[in-house]
Amino acid sequence: MAVVNPIINIDRERCTTPFDCKRCLRVCPAAVFVVLATKMIKGVELDKKEPGNYAVLPLYRDKCTACMKCVNVCPVEAITMSMPEGVSP
Amino acid sequence: MCRMCNWLGDGTVWYKNPKNYANRMYKLREPGAQGGFRGDPQNVGAGLPEAIQAKANGDLEAFHSIIKGMNERHATQPGTQVVPLRDCIELVMDMGTPFAAMHCICRKTARGEEETNINEYSCLGVGTGMFKWERWPERYRGGVEFLSPKQTAEFLEYWDKRGMVHIAMQEGGDFIGGICNCDYPDCVPIRQRVDYGLNYQLTKGEYICEPDYERCNGCGECLGRCQFNALKYESTIDKPNIDPMACFGCGVCMTACNRGAIRLVPRRQYPVLANVW
Repeated sequence: MAVVNPIINIDRERCTTPFDCKRCLRVCPAAVFVVLATKMIKGVELDKKEPGNYAVLPLYRDKCTACMKCVNVCPVEAITMSMPEGVSP
Repeated sequence: MCRMCNWLGDGTVWYKNPKNYANRMYKLREPGAQGGFRGDPQNVGAGLPEAIQAKANGDLEAFHSIIKGMNERHATQPGTQVVPLRDCIELVMDMGTPFAAMHCICRKTARGEEETNINEYSCLGVGTGMFKWERWPERYRGGVEFLSPKQTAEFLEYWDKRGMVHIAMQEGGDFIGGICNCDYPDCVPIRQRVDYGLNYQLTKGEYICEPDYERCNGCGECLGRCQFNALKYESTIDKPNIDPMACFGCGVCMTACNRGAIRLVPRRQYPVLANVW
């Protein structure tokens, strides 16, 4: 059976300053996440401490083993994981 | 011959060809093409996010078909190649082009690293383009630090000892714009080649590493340094084993060996490996 990875959902309402926090980026054994600026003004990224200026994306999802380290480390409980439909955990 | 040498080598190794460091190369631009920094490096090669989603959902057929398409489509795109420290230092000393330490954008996006001064910078910008760094303030976040050739060599040696692979980067205008110090999984070219088979992203080096079992005492200092899954400990003989087909020839294992038991051998010396890039 083909290997299927979990769906990682990041609640942007809760996760607002990921580039300042970066706990999930650091803890992930497979380095699944990337942090990107959501906007730039005149080619410059904005203050990492201001909410909404950066976002974390689970770009390399195919490496995720659902170890839940990121879910547990997140201080604002913004990360949730679920298996795709029809796949038993 | 690798595709980079075929394309830019003029009969020699492309990163040893002075033409590829020349100022005029910097001005070449395809008609209508956008200049400067082209945005987020983790997005290099549109199509990869779709491929990853397909793989994560268990659809390997779709994954392989997207990757195959990308490899074909991008076969003439600017590329990168692994360069061992020895060659890096040779070209740093010979090329007479500006060198500047700068932050690593891959480490920034993958692990949230913020390198803000010379003690933290881990990437090396190359060429006259570095004088214009202020035009792309975010690409050179935190500024740059210009280095003399001697300082540049020390900079590369430091990162080599730390276990980083050096990669010559070709930028949009067919010139060599950087020599990065990279590791898996943070480095985008290494990761995209090793994990997803996007071979155009990173070309193997001109050499392979070979252990000399007469000298090797099996101390294991080299273990754990390989970023390409080529070097492993072979318990049967109590010595490390390097898979020549998997080796990228970065020489990072060689730096760790204090008995001189690993050497670089030109890839082209072997009829089969001469075609493995």
